[in-house]
Amino acid sequence: MADHDRRQPAGGYNNRKRRYREDDDYDRRPQRRRYDAPLPVRIRKQLLGLAESPLRRWHEEVQSIAHVLADNYEDQELRTSFLDLVLQMLIEQPLKTPFVAAVVLVANSLKPDILSDLLTRVATATEEKVSVGEWRDVKLYLKFLACLQSALEGDGLFPLLEELFSRAVDLQTASSDDTIGTELVKIILLTIPYIMAAAPAQWQQKAAELMDKTDVIASEPHALQVLIDPYHAEEGTESPTANMSLIGLLQKQLQTEALNGWELSCLPRPWQMPPEEIEQQEKLDNAQKHTLPNISIPEKVVAGPRPLFPEIYFSVYVNQDIESVPPVSSIASSLIRDGLLDTINILDFNRGVTARFLIDVDCYFAPGTFVKRATPFDRLRDVEGDRSTWKPEDVAVDAVFSQIFALPAPEHKLVYYHSVLTEACKIAPAAVAPSLGRAIRYSYQNTHRLDLELCYRFLDWFTHHLSNFGFMWKWTEWVDDVNLPDMHPRKAFILGALDKEIRLSFAQRIKGTLPEPYQALIGPEKEQDTPEFKFNDDHTPFAAEGREIAALLKRKAPDEEIQPIIDRIHSAALDQAIDPLVSSTDVFMTAVCWVGSKSLSHVLACIERTKDRLLDSGAASEAARAQIITAVVSYWSAHPGVAITIIEKLLNYSIITPGAVIDWALAGDRAGPYGQALSKSWVFELVFNSVVKVTSRLRQVISSGSNETTEEEVANMRELFKNMEDALISWAQGTKDQIMDPVVSDGGEDLIKRWGERWLRVFRRRSAIEEAFLLEHKAVS
Amino acid sequence: MPGALRSTVDRLDRPSAYYNSRNKRRRPDHGRDNKDGDAEVHVPVEESPEDPLKNATTLYVGNLSFYTTEEQVYELFSKCGEIKRLVMGLDRFNKTPCGFCFVEYYTHQDALDCMKYIGGTKLDERIIRTDLDPGFEEGRQYGRGKSGGQVRDEYRDDYDEGRGGLGRAIQSEREREGQRNRERDQHMEDDYGRLR
Repeated sequence: MADHDRRQPAGGYNNRKRRYREDDDYDRRPQRRRYDAPLPVRIRKQLLGLAESPLRRWHEEVQSIAHVLADNYEDQELRTSFLDLVLQMLIEQPLKTPFVAAVVLVANSLKPDILSDLLTRVATATEEKVSVGEWRDVKLYLKFLACLQSALEGDGLFPLLEELFSRAVDLQTASSDDTIGTELVKIILLTIPYIMAAAPAQWQQKAAELMDKTDVIASEPHALQVLIDPYHAEEGTESPTANMSLIGLLQKQLQTEALNGWELSCLPRPWQMPPEEIEQQEKLDNAQKHTLPNISIPEKVVAGPRPLFPEIYFSVYVNQDIESVPPVSSIASSLIRDGLLDTINILDFNRGVTARFLIDVDCYFAPGTFVKRATPFDRLRDVEGDRSTWKPEDVAVDAVFSQIFALPAPEHKLVYYHSVLTEACKIAPAAVAPSLGRAIRYSYQNTHRLDLELCYRFLDWFTHHLSNFGFMWKWTEWVDDVNLPDMHPRKAFILGALDKEIRLSFAQRIKGTLPEPYQALIGPEKEQDTPEFKFNDDHTPFAAEGREIAALLKRKAPDEEIQPIIDRIHSAALDQAIDPLVSSTDVFMTAVCWVGSKSLSHVLACIERTKDRLLDSGAASEAARAQIITAVVSYWSAHPGVAITIIEKLLNYSIITPGAVIDWALAGDRAGPYGQALSKSWVFELVFNSVVKVTSRLRQVISSGSNETTEEEVANMRELFKNMEDALISWAQGTKDQIMDPVVSDGGEDLIKRWGERWLRVFRRRSAIEEAFLLEHKAVS
Repeated sequence: MPGALRSTVDRLDRPSAYYNSRNKRRRPDHGRDNKDGDAEVHVPVEESPEDPLKNATTLYVGNLSFYTTEEQVYELFSKCGEIKRLVMGLDRFNKTPCGFCFVEYYTHQDALDCMKYIGGTKLDERIIRTDLDPGFEEGRQYGRGKSGGQVRDEYRDDYDEGRGGLGRAIQSEREREGQRNRERDQHMEDDYGRLR
């Protein structure tokens, strides 16, 4: 026990801020006995540290805690803090659940009261979580109870699983779109292996019966699966994840496991004592059993706070010549992934700890599940016999990628998953960076068939990640793609990535990280901080007026002084038979951009001062609204990121509408000729952001319960999606006039159609998900 | 029940020790020992039981390079939600960026997420620091060091290219010293000349 107290000699009670302590200072100080933390604190520390040590002295850790616990269980403070902590650990650090269970099992062999108290607590907590639909927590409690199966009376956890299953059947029979039933089946299937690892042999029959039943639901592809497939396969091909429904895989994996006598070789069994501990093992085997307190499942179960979707198993390490992650045929793939995903999504409040868990993943599974950490991929070939070739880093990275690539959306903001990968790279760069490299290569090679929204997420992550590591990437390996047409998905990715990198840094810096062939992709205009004001050139129509307006804006002249110049533009335009309003809007908005070009604050202040005029222009005609956007985008054409931010603010002022943005980007050729706009990642970003603005605003209104303006807003949103559908479908089907241009008929036409299809899929999905949200909330209210 | 318990691991979306110590101090103002010399916090903690950060939507962002632009801050911080307002910290005299800013979001959750996911990561190749802030007030955008920048840039003895090299006080000290040396050298040369 004393060992444990001294495990971290420099930790805890020392003042770490004594940075400048001299050595002799150290010597003079009397070496007093360290202050002993109170018992509950020590137990807490030990319990929290369970299994973290790579030394894997599981049985020692477990017994040490269990003995202190059993000896001092009468201590009220210890008891309360222990019971509280166990419940909390189960739902905060789920990778440690089997180890906590082992502590409890050993403690039960010494003092049965402990388990009986705990079961009462866990049962109550489970019931609460069921009633509010917190299904992940339910799953985590059941996992714990499953580990305790050997200490439970009768059939233990099985009756509860059977009851959950009967709810699942009811739900699935009622509707094929149901997702709660799918979730329940997932929970059941993920619980079974823990029961079988805890109490082998006698439950095979029970498990087989239950799995016979789940088969109907698990093996049937879910109606929503097509919608959330991360791949958007080209016509005539099949998506790599077409048969990767998580519960479908689980069902098969468990059947295979049953055939092999429930080997479950990846699961840790810390309750099994080594041969020298035969006495303790006997105590364990003959410990008192307890009846699982009743956990009632309401007749009508609810979906809970997070929207549920069927899950698809995604991996960036498929089709490698050597397996560096568990294959989907193995239950290990699902069990390890499940433990990691729960950890990742629960611990979003401390990405450092999350990353630590990812790096330490091998600590929480059976010995031999993985190869040694940081084994290079090339060395996997040298692994002998049937030993594992699974790289812990690959398994960890894969889990995070599965979240970045999760549709419709992962639990947290995407930037969280970015930050986890950054942290993991910081903790173990030599181990993680090569794994990330292979993940990047896989994603890059598959950009053409990944869902377009996911492509954008990949782009966003990739560039953000590089920005944390000195923008270092082996660009040389993609040089062949530099000469592809700009609309090619991989070339489009490169162009988008360079733009995003520049936004986080600056052109010159990024140029310095690129091999020669890429240099031409970053033109001199990108290195210019302030773009030229086109009206400085006298050949530009309305050059004089442009300069005059700019001068007035600069000295913050009142609007009355601007009006005469606008009038001059109008009459000149009329003479030339061009749209007067469009002409004056272009001059004015361009001048605003130029005057505000010093920084976003400058341009925002300028917009704020001139918003009445801009509002009038925007309200005047569709053409004027479009011209506002055109002026901003052409002024900032070398820095689309700035244009996007300005447009976002113009949307906030209602100077332009989301509909105008979408129309501008998709209907004509203003964002790029012949449909090239569709391949530009910044156009996708602009449109996507505008749509999200509309949908999240609507959700906010609906969730807040006010239904006054809702009807109109719902109608607006539907119209928006309808307009997108109309604009995109003609690109996707190749019926758009612009597509017919001879310039691009050298196969470019197919590229454009494909881009159209990919856009269409993204926004049809967004639309479907919003409709589902509306439906659900109508049902509630 | 579990909500009342502290988490089994620390949370990154809590105000910093700096903020807490500032508030305990109860001296409403005093330039010396504040966070990088800015972001003054006018909250007398003992009188207000309400936590001023309970609904905070603003973050103080520190350790920026002087060369980092608003656009770069926007690009990174927008990953946590739409930015309502961005106020760059400026040198009190030159009105040039001096290495900090305030980012205001529309929601408290976005600000918390920013603490968790962006604080401590890199922007413009520097590890940046975020801290929840009760809200921007006019005047707080200026550095409070003697020479106009942030206090930490006065006496910093490490050379930080992104923040104007050495601390300014040290720089001017060295300049004076250099000046004296030059004068002395001048003197000696003159002497030499005379001796010859």
